[in-house]
Amino acid sequence: MTEPLLEVEDLTIQYETDGGMLTAVSDASFTIDEGEFFGLAGESGSGKSTIAKSIIGGLDSNGQVTSGTIRYRGEEIQGYDDKQLNEAVRWKEIAWIPQSSMNSLDPLQQVSEQAIEIGQVHTDLSNVELRDRLKEMFDIVGLQESRIDDYPHQFSGGMQQRAIIALALFLEPSLIIADEPTTALDVIMQDQIFKYLDEVKSELETSLLLITHDISVIFESCDSVAIMHASQVAEYGSVAAVHDNPRHPYAFMFKEAFPDVREPDRELEVIDGYPPELIGDVDFCSFIDRCPWATDECGQRAPNMESVDDDDPTHVAGCFRKDEAYELYQSERDHARSEGHSGEQTTAVTEGSD
Amino acid sequence: MTDETPLLEIRNLRKYFEESSNVLDLLLRREPDQIQAVDDVSLTLNENESIAVIGESGCGKTTLLLTLIGLHDITDGEIIYKGTPVSEFDKADWKDYRSNVQVIFQDPFNALDPKMTIRESLEEPLKIHGIDDRDRRVRDVLEHVELSPPEKYLGRKPVNLSGGEKQRVAIARALIVEPDIILADEPVSMLDASTQAAVLKMMKELIEDFGVSMIYISHDLSTVSYISEHVNVMYLGRIVETAPTGQILADPKHPYTDALVSAVPIPDPGHDRDRTRMSGAPRDPIGLGDGCRFRDRCPAVIPPDHLEIDQEAFREVMEFRELLDRDEIAFDRVVETIDDPDPDDRTMARALKQEYFRHELSGENEATLTESLIALANEKPDVAARRLKQRFESVCETTPAYVEAETGWNVACHHYEESTNETQSTPAKQH
Repeated sequence: MTEPLLEVEDLTIQYETDGGMLTAVSDASFTIDEGEFFGLAGESGSGKSTIAKSIIGGLDSNGQVTSGTIRYRGEEIQGYDDKQLNEAVRWKEIAWIPQSSMNSLDPLQQVSEQAIEIGQVHTDLSNVELRDRLKEMFDIVGLQESRIDDYPHQFSGGMQQRAIIALALFLEPSLIIADEPTTALDVIMQDQIFKYLDEVKSELETSLLLITHDISVIFESCDSVAIMHASQVAEYGSVAAVHDNPRHPYAFMFKEAFPDVREPDRELEVIDGYPPELIGDVDFCSFIDRCPWATDECGQRAPNMESVDDDDPTHVAGCFRKDEAYELYQSERDHARSEGHSGEQTTAVTEGSD
Repeated sequence: MTDETPLLEIRNLRKYFEESSNVLDLLLRREPDQIQAVDDVSLTLNENESIAVIGESGCGKTTLLLTLIGLHDITDGEIIYKGTPVSEFDKADWKDYRSNVQVIFQDPFNALDPKMTIRESLEEPLKIHGIDDRDRRVRDVLEHVELSPPEKYLGRKPVNLSGGEKQRVAIARALIVEPDIILADEPVSMLDASTQAAVLKMMKELIEDFGVSMIYISHDLSTVSYISEHVNVMYLGRIVETAPTGQILADPKHPYTDALVSAVPIPDPGHDRDRTRMSGAPRDPIGLGDGCRFRDRCPAVIPPDHLEIDQEAFREVMEFRELLDRDEIAFDRVVETIDDPDPDDRTMARALKQEYFRHELSGENEATLTESLIALANEKPDVAARRLKQRFESVCETTPAYVEAETGWNVACHHYEESTNETQSTPAKQH
């Protein structure tokens, strides 16, 4: 087996706040292989963006990795300062597509100027070679090659987004980290962007760390997924394993909360409550207050990530009741459904009256 | 109230804006171009009904909403509320209308006054509309939007609420004056999925419990079935298709609706969905003229009968003609791709072809294109446009009428007009 590209192991990240040490990420582990598209899913506040920021050394000044490691090609990078990170990973190895990427192009510079500036710092290529490289990337993301000398305002929103992806690809990084890259876009535009990311995957063998709250995008476009809830990874595995055989209550409830146009009448799951704010170490399951199947044990210690009992050792879940919760859920849901249906038989005709 | 009058009727509504004119326009006495944000839209909302208007950003759905609440003047057409056109409203009618038509906006994070407590936020509309019994109403409505017990929320300020809670307060604020109609503009798009489902579910129940009607405005087709029975799909100011929700999702007829439905991600790794075939974005709704507004992006645009041409190649010609019409051919950029500092017309024509055409044409089609590009290089855009039109003009350049494809299901697309083809062709579907 070849070495994974990125290994995050038992990572804990805390922010210093007035109320104490706020835990944003607790004991999180996952790996990304070369050419793998990996999705990190969860609600806002689950810690997914914090993980991404920590990889490129972009944590806010009050945040820090308090334990665990981040290894890039075997090299531990979690303690690196800006200069070391610039040399080791930024741009050349890891590129970043931020959430509000519409604003991340310099409006006063042509896209080609911005690319050449980056290229001069990180490569030995000549300006002509850099321009050719940028044209190639424009072509991959479906922009006309002749437009590399345009200013950002000459592009529409979707084209700007693609220009940013082209810039991110420009130094042929091994890993792209994209934080909600399409959340602000309409579905057709979103699909166009992913069409180009598919292309990138097949042509350049780039890896992707996709952070999004939209699990349907991950199920469609990624190879594997980790679902996070309030600082902890709840479940992790290939998209097929997590989709077909979810074990952590948060994972399957989260999945069932998403609509599917193929089943417009399906009841959507509602997860009551909100993720808790976690001060201090998280030595319990962070889903305990929202979980219908929680027991005393869940409050006494944090569950380990353990292999679920199928034939796939990469599929792991952190839940004490992982062997029974999904079955309980399904039978409860079927029960509710059959009751709901018999109830609907007596449709009352109500006359509006004031 | 079982009379036949619909609650709200929108008839052939137009809202045009004038593009700001500059000094040159004034000097040349040029008419500024019209921005056709809403163009000939008709909708009917009956009592206890929830209908949806779906479209991408820039399609005019928000302008439609702002026109409905009287924030924009009407350019043409009518809005009729309970049988009375708003153009005949007096001051009292307007006041009544404004309290009966409430809006929920997309962004719960900015919709509430950060300095007001929840109680103050909810009491404010009651004061404005002179409604008593405020304390009871405030508590009641909080229970209804599932913020209970109310005591827990009354004294809080928006900063102490989560996104979902804020949107519930915004919904409570719209409901508290007991309106007839709620206009909801992307009410859940900024919420997390778990909250989204809960808020949609609650809104649906409120429609039933309170007997309100709703126009739900969104770009998201995946959630629309949870809130509306009927969907109107809007593209560049016009409604292109209107049908019952279940049917439109299962069998979209208009090529644009089809593109929209088939671009929705499916939360199932086992499902192999094709990525969208659409490229680009909708153009600006300025000086649109006649014809189907989707024709420059339509994967099923109709070539003239006699023409033998590949669909993709035809679409490129179509797109190019549009650019030519709008005077948007980027000559500067094309010139830069040529090494020769003073290129002749043929070289320029070749460069234009290189820039705008990826598909090869053949025979007469190729000859016409080359001839036109040379005319264009020779600075005769009118000649070029005419040549291209003669050979490549499509029925899609005339405005399609609404055709009732099935009961309650209207489509504005030439594919569904019987006169187009004897054997009624349906566009190739991606979905």
